[in-house]
Formats: sequence, structure tokens, C-alpha cells
Amino acid sequence: MAAFEPVLTRNVGKPEALTLKGYRQLGGYEGLTKALAMEPDAVIDEVKKSGLRGRGGAGFPAGMKWSFIPKGKDKPKYLVCNADESEPGTFKDRLLMENDPHQLIEGCAICCYAVSANTCYIYIRGEYVKSAVILEQALKEAYEAGILGDSVQGSGFKLNMYIHRGAGAYICGEETGMLESLEGKRGQPRVKPPFPAVVGAFGAPTVINNVETLCNVPHILTRGADWFKSIGTDERNTGPKLYAISGHVDRPGTYEYPIGVTFREMLDGAGGMWHGRQLKAFIPGGASAPILKPDQIDIKMDFDTVAKAGSMLGSAAVIVMDETTCMVRSVARLAKFFNHESCGQCTPCREGTNWMELVLKRLEHGEGTEGDAQKLLSICKNIGGQSLCALGDAAIGPVKSLVDRFPEEIEQHVRERACPFPQPRYFENGA
Amino acid sequence: MPKVTINDRTVEVEAGTNVIDAGLKAGVLVPHYCYHPRLSVVGQCRMCLVEISDGGKKMPKLQTACSSYVMKDGWSVHTDTPEVAEAQKGMMEFFLINHPLDCPICDQAGECGLQDYSFKHGVAFSRFQYEDKRTYPGRERIPLGANVVLNMNRCIQCTRCIRFTEEIAGTGELGFFNRGARVEIGTFPGKELNNPLATCVVDICPVGALTSTRFRFAERVWYLDKKPSICTGCEVGCNITMEQRRGDIKRYKPRFNIEVNDYWMCDYGRASFERYKQQPRLSSPRVAAGNTGWSQALDAVHSRIAGAQGSGEIAFLGSGFLTTEEAYLFAKLADLVGSQSRSVPVDLGTEWTIPRHQRPPIKGREAAPNRRGAELAGLGGENDLLHGDAASRCAVLVICDSDFGKAAWDPETVARLRQAKLLVVFGWADSPLAQAADIALPVAHHGEKDGTFVNVEWRVQRFEKAFPPTGQVRPAVEVLSDLLSRFDAAWSPLSAGAASTVFDRLAGELPAFAGLSWRRLPATGASLHVPEAHPKLSDQAAEAASEATA
Amino acid sequence: MSVHEPASMQPSGPQIRGGGLSEASRAEIDGLRERYPTSEAILLPALHIAQRQWGGWLPDEAIAAVSAELDLPVAKVYGVVTFYDLFHQKPVGRHRIRVCNNLPCQLRGAEEVLEILHQELGVGEDEVTPDGRCSFVHFECLGSCDTAPMMMVDDDYHENLTPNRVRQIVKRLR
Repeated sequence: MAAFEPVLTRNVGKPEALTLKGYRQLGGYEGLTKALAMEPDAVIDEVKKSGLRGRGGAGFPAGMKWSFIPKGKDKPKYLVCNADESEPGTFKDRLLMENDPHQLIEGCAICCYAVSANTCYIYIRGEYVKSAVILEQALKEAYEAGILGDSVQGSGFKLNMYIHRGAGAYICGEETGMLESLEGKRGQPRVKPPFPAVVGAFGAPTVINNVETLCNVPHILTRGADWFKSIGTDERNTGPKLYAISGHVDRPGTYEYPIGVTFREMLDGAGGMWHGRQLKAFIPGGASAPILKPDQIDIKMDFDTVAKAGSMLGSAAVIVMDETTCMVRSVARLAKFFNHESCGQCTPCREGTNWMELVLKRLEHGEGTEGDAQKLLSICKNIGGQSLCALGDAAIGPVKSLVDRFPEEIEQHVRERACPFPQPRYFENGA
Repeated sequence: MPKVTINDRTVEVEAGTNVIDAGLKAGVLVPHYCYHPRLSVVGQCRMCLVEISDGGKKMPKLQTACSSYVMKDGWSVHTDTPEVAEAQKGMMEFFLINHPLDCPICDQAGECGLQDYSFKHGVAFSRFQYEDKRTYPGRERIPLGANVVLNMNRCIQCTRCIRFTEEIAGTGELGFFNRGARVEIGTFPGKELNNPLATCVVDICPVGALTSTRFRFAERVWYLDKKPSICTGCEVGCNITMEQRRGDIKRYKPRFNIEVNDYWMCDYGRASFERYKQQPRLSSPRVAAGNTGWSQALDAVHSRIAGAQGSGEIAFLGSGFLTTEEAYLFAKLADLVGSQSRSVPVDLGTEWTIPRHQRPPIKGREAAPNRRGAELAGLGGENDLLHGDAASRCAVLVICDSDFGKAAWDPETVARLRQAKLLVVFGWADSPLAQAADIALPVAHHGEKDGTFVNVEWRVQRFEKAFPPTGQVRPAVEVLSDLLSRFDAAWSPLSAGAASTVFDRLAGELPAFAGLSWRRLPATGASLHVPEAHPKLSDQAAEAASEATA
Repeated sequence: MSVHEPASMQPSGPQIRGGGLSEASRAEIDGLRERYPTSEAILLPALHIAQRQWGGWLPDEAIAAVSAELDLPVAKVYGVVTFYDLFHQKPVGRHRIRVCNNLPCQLRGAEEVLEILHQELGVGEDEVTPDGRCSFVHFECLGSCDTAPMMMVDDDYHENLTPNRVRQIVKRLR
């Protein structure tokens, strides 16, 4: 494992990668050149063969997604790159955009070529101003160098790529919410089917892929699907993966590992628990993922293993909590997030996330009652699988795992009529 | 066409029908709030979750019936499994936790989707005991426009109203604001919901969030008596239910007719009953300004018309407000006294447009419902009594009705008509015209009688008496039958004066109505066979009439 | 006939008082048109542009101006404005501070950052200092959890905050 060479983050810390010239010197745009010499379908096949699964959260096989785009030229097609990274705990895509913008542009260009999309929008969350500025500059250079525009690298393939800035809404990371937002509307997810591959942006077939997913693509083209498949746990969990580690670890940050690294290795890589404290809980895949306990410390961090353990890899944003952490307080904060970010169109999510936040706040403030744990579970049940989009299911992940895995902590809050944990102070003497 | 089984009832539906509509065809109501057949499908309320199996294989999650379209054979839908019932119960709880318990003062109570479904699918107690209900201070009675009031506390965020203004009215005054549990509907600050169809949002609001300014606190809906009727606001003939209590009309609601007004009607039409309340009522027969009884009055009409024969013109002025049956009897009276001078003057007003499904919108300009029916029934003609001195040449002028148009309220026109030697006026309103008459006869208005109207597209539509006339007021059909039998005993069998009998008789006589009968006339009306080049049916008469009154 | 007439059918929207969109803003919006197949799709960028022109927030006249510029129903535009956290409907400070206090930041002291801001600025969340200089709010995850606690001042991220750093940053804002 120590021998693993970073793939996606290889250019991080090399400021020359920000320029086209520098990126090229580092081997950039070779994947695109290779792709342009292939038939589009062959590119799709290569990505399919690599086993690359979406890095945004759902883990859907990318090549398969591309193959759903209907052939034929009767309708325009679009690629929308999902750079709306908003899942609490997740900050990997920002790293990729701020340090290696051309890698993303190259990945987008290859995808567009594969599905015959002549327009690509990079939907970037409004708060990521720096990423947008860096990408804008990179796009400008790419246009000037003929990598984008009327004939991509002289191939005759036309491609326009634009930055589209969001304006602060987590739900726009949901792919149809993103499309609505791109079209200038409230980011309210659409009823599916139809799926975006058939009716996407502006009514046309559309691929939506996460930043990290697309950043893998140039490397698959350059080094081949077999190389990609050789990294990872098994056939269904392949390639390098960015893990964003935050919370109570010594060195939080984005770490690149072969997918399927164990949580223990990752924790060690991040310098272990801060202040030498005990691990109490960790969230393996962003705020939506059910919380795991230390007994899972040796879990392989890939899509299927984490799912089997009753959580999900999601965006691989790992939030680590130590023994001083109040789980009720933590989950209440996540519940507040989901309530704030619910778009409000569908009943279970609008009402249910709100109710959960109210109950959890009450519990945290020592005003809980005996029945609250059961009530939370029942609210979760009434949201789960019944909301219009995945946000409802995401919102119940942490709450359900709180009740299932930390029941004694809820009981303690109720019994003692107060939060048993002291309000943490992180800075001494206000300094 | 694919077959679909819903709770073990199999129906055949057109490919692409959604499960809610397929359910209706199978006689199964899938509960829903946000779905409306004329609005885009948004799948928001999640009330219509059902279990669907495709070829025996159950889909992993419950599906929203509104967005599940039957495309092929093999679907089996269940709306009554424990899982579905649980989901419905859960959804009802979500709807109710933040909904005020103000049914006792809510106009919607009694016809409320929340009440109905919580009775059917909900539970009787609340688990939302320790939290405060969400409220919108200051947003409990917001007039969105002249005719619609919003109480945001009651809103369940189904967005039907928003989609209506965007997709049907095309005006887009309403929007969905904020996010999550704080979402609201409303207008942009300073803007009003004031399109001609605005009150339709009250009809489609499943709860009491949007109420009608006119109907607010007017009546508890369970006290309303409802009868199918036709709006008299214009020539479109929107199908309505006339809703009243003890003869006091409270509101008009559009009644679905895909051929005419679909689910909609305009606000102008909704308000059109107000005139029955605002205008003075002609309440007893009057001869020479003195109240009298019906037989004296009719004897007087008979003897004075009979006496006047030969001493000058006898003219008839009809009205676009007459039922076809009334117009028919009126025309028969004209025939009996040998008069050829007839016309049906109507006002032209604002053009009202009602959008329809998969058909061009229907438009009406004439401010009366039945000019066409009256003309078909024999009252068509071109006497020009409203202008110049034509009336002065009349020995007798019979006008039906006292509120045929603006002219009946215009002193100059009334003075012009008054020049006739004998002026007989039928009508419900004690208009200046009625007051000027030698003989005034109080007859029922359209809420008090049965009849038919023929609309702008030559569709004959039946409406029912919503309540009986009071006092000495009688339906005109009855009065005219009485009068006719005084001239000719052959008419006495008709003296019972039922609109149905008259309709059947005119249907046997007039080619346009051939093959129709009162009993067989469909609830949605019937298209008439009208020869295209019918000389009397040109709209020029109406144009002329309007120019005259303008 | 005395039938109730519906209210005027003329839109009675607010008048644009301040002259609406500036020439520069309009030119910037026009420059985006070729990027999208519909003019509605320009709405988010256009609102960003308008918000910049109006000093960081979108008064009703700005919303009306954008709706007129893109020929969209104003209720729709208003719905979009109220949906997104980065669009403001009331005046903000010259400098806008957004403090992430989502779980990863909360686990490393975000609440204390908020306390410090409250002390230093003397105003509550979402209020503007009397001199118009600053306003601060707590915000959902800003994607900088590895450098928690953090805050965003205008367009810039300030990371690995300590109370003293927060004080310094605030002092430098003019």
C-alpha cells in the first residue's frame, strides 16, 4: 500500500499544473489525444471495462451511464459536471479544481467526445469562487490552444465548455435538482423517470458526472482499463479514490488511496486521533451516511463493504468523532442541515426533516421524552423510500444510526434531563 | 390498449394513462393532492403512493400513482395493502403536524382534502405534542388579488395554484418562495393575482389555504344545495353548479365539461349571480302600475293584444337570457297574433376566454347565454326597436325580459320603447323598463327554472331549477303556456308549463334539435345540427345590437 | 348590468426606481446568452450580476429588473431568489462573513468563532454593523472541513481559524 502512487492528486502541490503548458509537461491531455483517435463507443467501452463507479455518492458505473445516452444526432446532448460539492465533510473536488483544473477539463472533454455532447456545463457551487476563477482561466487557455471550441485538437469534434455557478443550495447536487438550477429554476429535483440520459438539460439527453469521476477518465484512457482495475478491492470497486478526512484527527485532509483502504490505515495516515483521544464514532461517507462505531475500524472503505456494514461510502467524506463528542448534538446539527437544505416540494422530506430537527434539538436540550427514540425511528420510516429524491433518505441516515447504535446516549439525555457532555471548548482562554 | 389491474379490477386504458386516472376508470380513488389532470405532474405530495407489480414482480419501492404511466400489459396495482396504508397514514401525519386545527372557522371545512383523507387514511391523535406548529405570522389573510385570499398557515404546498397560473392562465402571478419547511406560495411584492380566471385556484386548492373573497364566511358548505346549471355571464355557457341556501345563491362553481369549460370558469361569470341580489325584484304582476293577480294580468294581456290587432304593428323583443323553451313559446305567441317583428338584442362585452384541453380555447363576447337558442326557437329577426322611433309605430310591444341588456336600464332607450301604445314586459328585475310597462309580469330568473341554453358553439345544454321562485313569481314557460291557451285552446295541454314538455315539442319541430329529447339530452349537452348559411343566425344581428347600445 | 368587474388586468408591479440594471450589467448578461439554449438559464448568472450591482443584495427593484431583462414572470424570479442561500433580500454589510458551523467545523470550534464575531462586531447574525461594514451569518458546509474552523469573507476562504486570527481578520475589514 505504501507503494501507491497518487493518480488524481499527482499534480497537487505543483503550481505549474495550473497552466496548460505545465499540465502538458506533466503528461496532460494525452488521454484526450488517445480518445480522439478512437471511436466514441470504444471510449465508452474502455470506461465501462475499467469499472469506474461514480464518485459523487451513488456509485453508479460511469461507463454504463454514458452508454444510456441515445445515439443519433437529432437532439443536442449535454454533459453536466457536478461540481456542487456540498455534502458536509466533503472537500475533495475543490482540491482537484483548485490544483489541477485541466485534469477535469480533459476528463469532461473525453466524456463529451464519447457521448457526442457538444456542450458541457461545469455546475460549480456558488461558494467555490476560487475554483471557478481557476477553472475559468484554464478554460480560456484550453480554448486558445484549440483543445476546446469548433474542432477539439483538430479532430473536427466541436465542444463548448462553460462554468455555471450555483448560488447556495445543497439540493442542486442532486442531479435533476442541478438540471433545474442550470435551467434557471429553483433547484427542485424532478420526478424520475424520465432519467437525465433521456430527458436531461433543456429536454435533451444528458450525462451528469461528479468532478472526481471525470478526473479519473484521462488516466483510464492513458493507462488503460486494466491498469485501473488492478487498483482496488475487487471487480466492483476499482481505481484510486479520494478520501476527505475531517473531525477529530490529527491531520485532516484529502488523502488518495486505492479504493478499499481500511479505515484504520486511513486514520493512521491522518496522524491518528487528535490529542491521543479515543475514537467514538465515524461517518464513512458524508453527512448522509449512517454513523459507524469503532468496532468497524477495520472496514474496507469501498462501496460494497461499507454498504454491507449498514452505511454507505457516499462521497467518501470521513468525519471522525472522539470520546468527548455528544452524538445527539452532532446528529441534531446534521438534522438541522438537512432541514435547511430540503427543497420543500415533497411532503415527507419537508415536514419530516423539520420534525426530526425539532425532536433532536429538544433531546439535546434535555427536554426529551421516553418515546422520542421510537418516534424518530417512525419518522425515519415515513420518510425513507417515500420522498421524491434521495435527500429524504440521506436525512434519515444519521438519525436512524443514532437511535440504532447509540440508544444509551439518547436514554441518558432523557434521564438526566440535560446533555451529559460538557459544551466543548476548543480554544483556551479565547486565544 | 394496455390492461391494468387495480385492486383486482382490470381495466383497459390508453397507453400513457397514469395510475390515478386508471384507478378512476376502475372505480378506485387513489388519494392525491398535487396531481390535477390538467396540470404538469410533479409528484410532490406523495399521497398517491401505491404498490405496483410488473408481470408479478413487485417494484422495490412504493410508486407515486400520478407519475406511473401504464404503457403495457402486466401491471398490477394495489392501493389497499398494509404497506400502502402505512405510507398514507405517515403522509397524513406529515400534512397535519403543521396544519392549524381551525376547521370550525375554515371555509373549506366540509369539502377539504385534508379532512376527507384524514378520516379515511389518518389517525385520530397527534404525536406532534412537544413542538410548536409552524405559522406564518401576518400571512393568515393575504388578499392575493380582488377575489382570492391566502391563509399560508393552511397551505400544504401542493403548488397546484402556482402551476395553474403558469400553465393554464399563462399569467404566472404565483410563485413558490423560500425553501424546505419554510416554503410559501404568494405573489411578488406589489403584484396581484388578478387574471380573469383567478378564482380557479380556489377550486383546485385541496385545502383552505386559498379561499374566495366572495364566498368567505358566506355559508358552511354542508348547508349548500347544489344543482347543475349554466353560467349566464356570456355565450360560452360554462357548466356550473349553482350553490344556494334557501333561495340565496352563495356561489357558482365550475362543473367539468371537457367540451365547454373543462374544469374552469372566469371570475366575471362567478360573480354574475350578484345581479339577482343587487337589482330590485319584480314580485307581483302589475297592470297600469297597480299590483294585481295573475289571471287578471294575463286576461288583460290577452284582451288588450287581441283588441289592438289591426291597429298597428305588434312587435316582440326577446332576450339572450331567455331559455330556448321560453323563446319558443314567445315565438308561438308572435305567430298566433300574426307578428313578424321579432329580434333578440344582446350586448357585446369583454371577450372571455376559457382554456380547454386539446382544443382551442372557447371565447365569448356576447353578454348573454342564449342568443342562438332564442333565434333558433323562432325569435330571430331584425326589428330595430332600440333605435329611432320604430317603437312609436307599435300598437303592442312585448318585451321578454326586463333585463335583456344594458338598454333596459337606460332611461333614453326606455323612453323610446315606451312610445309603443301598449308595453308588456316579462322579467325578473324591476328595471326602469319594467316600471315603464303597462303590464309587467314577474317571472323566474335562471336559478328558479329549468331550461336549455345554446352556447357559442351551438351546443345545447340543460340546466336545472336550483330553488323555486317565491311569492307570485312564476316560471315564464308556465306564464306563456297560460297566455297561449287564452289565444288558442289547442295550447291548454301545455298549461302545466314544464320546460321538458316544451323542449320535447320544439325538438320535434325544429330541424336543429331533431332527435333530441329532454330526458336523453346528455349532461354535457349536445351539438346542434345548424345549417351553416342560416340567414338569421349570422352574428351580424348581434353586432348591430351592440353598436346600437354602444 | 351591474356585474362585479374583475380587478384591472394590467400588471400593477412595482416601478423600477433606481434605473434598473446598469449598462455594464446588461452587457454582461447579454454576453452569456450564447452559452444557453434558453434565456431562463441565464437567470442564476444574471442574479449574481445584479446582486453585485446592488451592493450584495437584491431589492425588489433588482428582481423586477432581472425579470424584465430576461422576460420571465417576476414571481418565478422571486421564487429562485428566495431558494438560494447566496442571494439576499435584505441589505448586507460591505463585507459578508459566512461561518461554517456544520458538523466537521462544529467538531473543531466553529461555535466559538461565531461567539467571537458576535463580540467583535457587536451585532447578531444577519444584522449589519452600524457603520455598514460587516454582517455575518452561520452557513452550511463550505467544503473546507480539513481546515476547520473556517469562514468565508466575501469571496475568500479563511481557514484554520483561532479566536485571535478571527479578530485580526475582522480588524482588517474596512
